[in-house]
This record gives sequence, structure tokens and C-alpha cells, in this order.
Amino acid sequence: MFRFAVGAQAEAHSAILHAFGEANEDLCTALGIDDVRSRLRAADWFDALTDEDLAERLKKLAEWGLLDVVQNHAENYRTATEYERRNLHYSLTKAGEAACAGVRHALAVLNEAGALQTAVLDALADRLTELAGLLDDPATADRRLFSAVQEVEGRLEALRTGATGFNGELQRLLRADGADLDTFHEVKAATVAYLQEFVTNLDQRTHAVVAALGRVEEHGIDELHRRALSGADLPPTAGEHATQEWLRHRRSRWDGLRSWFRPADGSTPRIDQLHAVARRAIVALLQVLDRITEARRHSSGAAADFRELARWFATADRDEDLHRLWSAAFGLGSARHAHLAHEDPELVAPSTPWAQAPRVRVSALLRSNGRTEKFARTGKVRDTSAVAALRASRARQERAELEAAWRRLATGGEVRLSSFGELEPGVFDRLLDLLGRALATREDSTGLRRACTGDGQVEIVLRDPGDARSARLRTSRGTLRGADYLVDVRLLTDSPDAEAAG
Amino acid sequence: MSNLANQLVIAERTDLARGIKLLLAHPLIRADTDPDGFDLVRRRKDTLTDWFDYHCGWALAVEPRLGYARLAKVRSDPDASRPARRDRSSRAPFDRRRYTLFCVAAAELLGGPATTIGLLADRIVQATAADPVLTAFDAAMRSERMAFVDVLRALESFGVLESIDGSTESFVDSAEAKVLYRVDATLLMRLLSAPNGPSQPAERDQGADPDEAISALVAESRYGNAEQGATEVQCNLWLRHSVLRKLFDDPVVYWADLTEAQRAYATSQAGRQIMRKAAEQGGFVLEERAEGVLLVDPEAMATDAKFPDDANNAKVAALHLLDALGTSRSGRTAEQLRGDAESVLDRSPGAARTYRYSDGPSRLVNDAVAVLVDFGLARRDGERIVALPAAARYAVVSGFPDSAGGNPS
Repeated sequence: MFRFAVGAQAEAHSAILHAFGEANEDLCTALGIDDVRSRLRAADWFDALTDEDLAERLKKLAEWGLLDVVQNHAENYRTATEYERRNLHYSLTKAGEAACAGVRHALAVLNEAGALQTAVLDALADRLTELAGLLDDPATADRRLFSAVQEVEGRLEALRTGATGFNGELQRLLRADGADLDTFHEVKAATVAYLQEFVTNLDQRTHAVVAALGRVEEHGIDELHRRALSGADLPPTAGEHATQEWLRHRRSRWDGLRSWFRPADGSTPRIDQLHAVARRAIVALLQVLDRITEARRHSSGAAADFRELARWFATADRDEDLHRLWSAAFGLGSARHAHLAHEDPELVAPSTPWAQAPRVRVSALLRSNGRTEKFARTGKVRDTSAVAALRASRARQERAELEAAWRRLATGGEVRLSSFGELEPGVFDRLLDLLGRALATREDSTGLRRACTGDGQVEIVLRDPGDARSARLRTSRGTLRGADYLVDVRLLTDSPDAEAAG
Repeated sequence: MSNLANQLVIAERTDLARGIKLLLAHPLIRADTDPDGFDLVRRRKDTLTDWFDYHCGWALAVEPRLGYARLAKVRSDPDASRPARRDRSSRAPFDRRRYTLFCVAAAELLGGPATTIGLLADRIVQATAADPVLTAFDAAMRSERMAFVDVLRALESFGVLESIDGSTESFVDSAEAKVLYRVDATLLMRLLSAPNGPSQPAERDQGADPDEAISALVAESRYGNAEQGATEVQCNLWLRHSVLRKLFDDPVVYWADLTEAQRAYATSQAGRQIMRKAAEQGGFVLEERAEGVLLVDPEAMATDAKFPDDANNAKVAALHLLDALGTSRSGRTAEQLRGDAESVLDRSPGAARTYRYSDGPSRLVNDAVAVLVDFGLARRDGERIVALPAAARYAVVSGFPDSAGGNPS
């Protein structure tokens, strides 16, 4: 449909279409070649265009389905040439009309300046309130509802295009740094004022719109649209499909309205986003303005110093100058000194030239191998205190466990081995150890076997009762079966309860 | 009690020496990176302040609460041997872009106590776009983001920026990285140590002589100036400070590099006395010779680099080149030194991996000579490289008989 807008002849094609569009508005639906020419003039198209060219262009447009060609037999032609020239009449097809509208819309968008107008918001609130008022009155004609709905939609459209256009320009303005400072300054200052005007009372206006919106919705949107449809008086050429389409459009517009002010899904209303964009822009613009004003004032101070220094760095000639400048401005460099000294520096008189003074002791290894011997540093001794502490605590714990085991085993008199019943494995090991020691000794004259642990803290006295009973000792690891000796385990240390038991 | 008093004096003396060396090596000491050093400087604040003010005319600012000490070093003839370095393993010096961004970022950071990396980048974009001289910052380019990150890391290392959330490095990969910073504005302002603000001379014509710009930056009115002349007191102050600044900051002070008045002062009885005392207070060994004077710091605490040292191949080679340079009064060209460099490479095949290319020896000579120049042991004279007198300290051969005792090899 828009093929006419590309290629070498695009301008001519557009101009011709434009001429047809204008003619259409005058309710002039068919144009002869002379009419086209005169209307082209009226549309400010003055390029040389021969009849052949023009005919060619028109033919092309007809080929693309934008123009209809009809033979006009109604007129009186005096000569054959005249007939040839004028018998063809052209009119826009439906596609042609759409193309015309498209071009017109595109030009309008190009030319229009986006705007954030508080007036639009006010109007929107007014129209919505009006609509709610109409709905409150049951006697309202459908026709009035229709026009009210249309007005609301019109206002929303104005708000939407204005906001998009303005936001686009705003972002371009924010990006376009480094333009001519003077105009820049004025434009930005004016923009900030404009934005501030808009942001002030924005909340209040939004609230008014939201309230009116709520009132209208109380009456039911579907009902409203049905009545508006009947008031719309759609032409009879439109079928059932068209009315459905019409209703769908109204619904989507209404959803659009809601997404601006009161989204159904609870997301941020777009008007709030606009608010945020405006505020961000104000901040950003003010920063740039500050910078410009500051640059003008030639203000001194640390920030200005740093900026000036940056310019010096940027314009210094040689790398060496960069480093010197760094050194001069920041003085962060370290001192640099020799570290090798004579063993007895006082022996050399101050008037000795360096060449005649003794040399300092340079490591021979450095000369021969390129490495210095690290005799100055001793090997690092590992800090063992942590390990020692760990070991000590482990030893203490083991000791405590052992003592607990002994205490558990102390019988406090002669008992049957079977009376131990069930033992935990650690304690059982101790008992086994004791029994092993005792059994390894020889019975004395009274039939007792005595043994001590290695540290001499525990004594065991073992006697075979001779009744051939067997004992079962259970641990979590298994069960020990054996002769049921009489055992007496005593703690020989100063444990008081052991004393008492002994 | 006299014993205790003695102990206190001794403690103060060692503290003073240590403090002087610490501050000479690090003009900015922060409590959170060097708690012991900062604590020492804080304790000896008054003594150190007086010492630096009397000898070098450098102001020492100690902020016990804010946790930093800053020695405002002013050098009368700033040299290029101590550039800002990237906080990376390469330690490569800053380039023009990084220096420029550093200053722009510093200016923008003064705006508020907290910021994010994205906001800061935006502000730098605006600032560079609004400035006719600066190249616009483009965060879409990786190389620019890299430079920006290097700058921020430098600022972080100075303690000006503290990243509260996120890592600066992530900005290299994506300009969308989120990093929150706390800004220490007072410390940032203290970074500038030049006595004159660069923005003070209101109008500076573009492309002015950098030497003039630098000398304007470091000119100090306390010593009098060209228009009003200087009183005798100011002159003496200037002589003391300028000579001792060189002595305490530079590897060697040659009389030949000083002005007539400075030389007269330095070689006078009073001048020598002050130098000796100052060196002793700082725990240095003062090496006085006919051609000049230098400080030896046996602990190598007050120095950014050591020579002779095995830290890198260039330093090893530099030591060898000294032998060759020492034999010729008129110096040698880099081409002549190439052979020595090659022999160093031959002797340490594994160590000199970075110089294993076709121009390796030439680059090694170049780097080694740079080391010697930085340590005041040689200078470039056009094409030739000439050894300076102090180079003889490290020479292995000498025509003089008394050298035998000095060198074990």
C-alpha cells in the first residue's frame, strides 16, 4: 500500500496522492489530468512535470491499486487530442484513501510537538464526570452517551500522543549533551519550569480522574458501550462483524484508560510512571544546568581544580609530562633511597669523590646469578601454640573420659561380672583391659588374682567362684560370654567416693 | 626514674625515625590498611609535624577520627619517575586517559557522600561531553570501562572510595554492573597536595608550556616570589627546604644539579650540620662525598624500590651495565651496551623470559638504563648513557688500589 512512498519518484507520487486527498475533502471524487495538475500547484508542487510523466505516474498509482481509472464519456470533446487528454478520470480507491490518511498522519506526527498538558487531564476528568452524570440520569439519550464516550476517548488519545511525543523529546534533550551551551541552557531551563508545572498538583488531578472513572464504572461498562453503540447509528453498510469490532474497540480503549489511571491488575498506573519520568528529567536537567552555570562562574574549589587538572592531563604533550604533573599535583609518590651502606661510614672523609671511596658490599650472588642471598631473613617459625592448645584440650578430654570410665567400673565391693550387664564400648574396653591384666597374673594362695592399670590408679581383684556360671556382657558392638568371675574394681587415687567404697 | 625517662626518650627517637620513614614511603597512611603505622604517626603527631615542617616545609595532616595521615609532599622539580600505577599485577603506569578520568571522577565524586558506579559513569559522560577539551567518555567501550575501573581502583586504594556492595571489577564486563560506593570527600580533597589549585590562574591558554604549568602549581608564596622579591628569612627557608626535600625524596643529590645558592648552603657548615642531624633523626646514614650527598636507608623502608636488587631482570642487568658504563667517562650508547645485556640473558636463561624476543636485549638495556636513571646513577645524554658519580658505589672494578677492601667479589 505504501509502495508509492519509496523510490526515485516518491515525492511526485506523494504529491499526487496528496492532491487526491485534498480533492476528496472537497467531495470531488474523480479528477482529470488537468485537475490533477492544477491541484498539484495548489499543493505547492512546482517541479516540471510533462503530461507524459504525469500520465505515467498516474498509471503507476493505478497499477498499485491506489487509484481507479474511469472513462468519462459525459463531456463534450471538441478535438481528438482533447479527448485523449481528458477522457480518463481518476479517483482514489479505498487503499488509496488509507494511504493518504497514513501519509497525513505520519506528517502530523513529524510536525507535532509532544506536550504534557494539565489541561488535558482536567478535560479528561470533566468528561468522565459528565459521563457519570449522564449515566445517573436514566432519561439520558443513547446519542449523548455516544458523544460523551467519544469525547473521553479523544481526550485520552490527546494525553497519550502528547505524553509519548514529549517523553521522546525529553530523552533526546537529555542525550544531546554538548550542544550550543546558550540555547541549551535556555531550552533546559524552560523545560524544567514546564515539567515542574506539570508535576505540581498531578496527584490531585489524577485523583479526580480516578474518582470519576470509578463513578462511571459503577454503572457497568458493557451496558454503557451497548447504549453508546445504539446511539452511534452505525451505517447500514456495516454488518454484524463491524458492530462487534466497534464494541471491541471501545473496550480496548476503556482498558487503555484504566491502564493509565487505575490498572485492573494493580500494576503501577502509567500516569505515575509519567510522574517518575518527569521528576527524573527535572533532576537530570538541573544537574546539567548546574554544571553549565558552574562552568560559567569559573568557580574555584576542589571540584574545579580537579576539572582543570583533567584538562591539563588531556592536553599535556608527552607521557613524561603526565607523570610529572601527577607528581606535582598529588605528591603521592614514595621517596627513593639507597639501602646498601658501608659498614663504617665515618671512615670516609666527606671530601672524597665517589670514585675513590670504597664500594658498598653488593651481594656476590647477585652479580653471578642474579639473585641475592636472603641471609637477612630467618626462616619463619611456625606458630605452634594453636596446635599445642588443641593437643592439650584433646588430652584433657581423653583424661576425663578415662576417669569417667573408671568411675563407672568401680564396683565398691565384690560383685559378679554379670552384674555389669550392659556397658558402653569405651568403658567395656577399659574393663576388658582390666580383666586381661588380672587373668594374666597367677592366682595367689587365696585364689585371688590382682592387677593394676599401667598408671597405677585402678586395681582389680578377680576371684573364680567355681560355680561355672557364665556371664553375658552386652555392648553396642556385641556380646561377651565368659566365666562369671567375682570382681572388685577399686580406684586407688584420691577420689573420695572410691575411698569410701574401698 | 631517670632510667624511665631515658627509655621514653629512646622510644620517642625510634618512633620519630620510623614515622619519618613511613611517611616518606607513603605520604598517605590509612588506619584500615596500616593500623600500626597510623597508630605510630598519630601518637607522634606533633613531633612529626614539626620535623617535616622545619626540614622540608611539608605539612602533615593527621586525622585521628577519620583514620588517615597525609604528608603533603611538594617537590620543587617534580620528576616522571614515580607515576601513578594501576592496581594490578602489571603495575603499569597510568596513561593519559587514566590520569584524565581520575581527575574527572574525583571532581564528580565531590558531589555527594555515596554513589553507584553507574551514576558516576553517567556523570562523567555528562562532564566530558560538556567540556570542550576532554574526550567524551564512552561506557559502551570495553577499553574505556577498563580505564575507568583502573581509576576507581586507584581511588579505592587511596581510601577515597569504599565499595559497600559489589565489586568494581565487574564493571569491566558489563556497564550494567551494580556497585555502591561510600565517598570520603575530605580525603579526596586532601589528595591534591600542590600548594596552588590548578584552577586558580583563571585563564590558561591551551597548550602552554607544561613546565610553566607545573612550576605555577608548586610555587609557594611563603618563599617570596619574583614580583615582590624575597626577604633574607624567606631565602634561607627556601634553601633549607628545597635542599632537604631533594635529600629526603630523591636517591642522590648532586651539587651539580643545585643552583649556586643551594650548593653554597648545602656545602656550608650549617647546611651540613642540619643534613646530618635530620638524617640521623630519620634513622638514615648520610653519605657525603665530593660530588654530592645521598641518604642510605639500611632497612629499605623509605623507598619504593631497591637497587641493587634481584626484583626483576632489568635491575640485575642494570648492575652489570654499571661496570661497562664505569669504564668510559663519555658514556656508551645503548647499542654498545647490548652485548652486556645479552650476556646477562645468556647467564640466566630461565629468569629472563620476558626478554626472549628478537629485540629482547635492546629492551633490557632500555629498562636497565631506566632503573639507573631513576636511582640517580646514570643519565641520558642524547644517544649516550653516562654514569653519574654515585654509580661508583656499586662498581666492581676500579683503577684505584683502595677498592680491594670494599668489594668482596
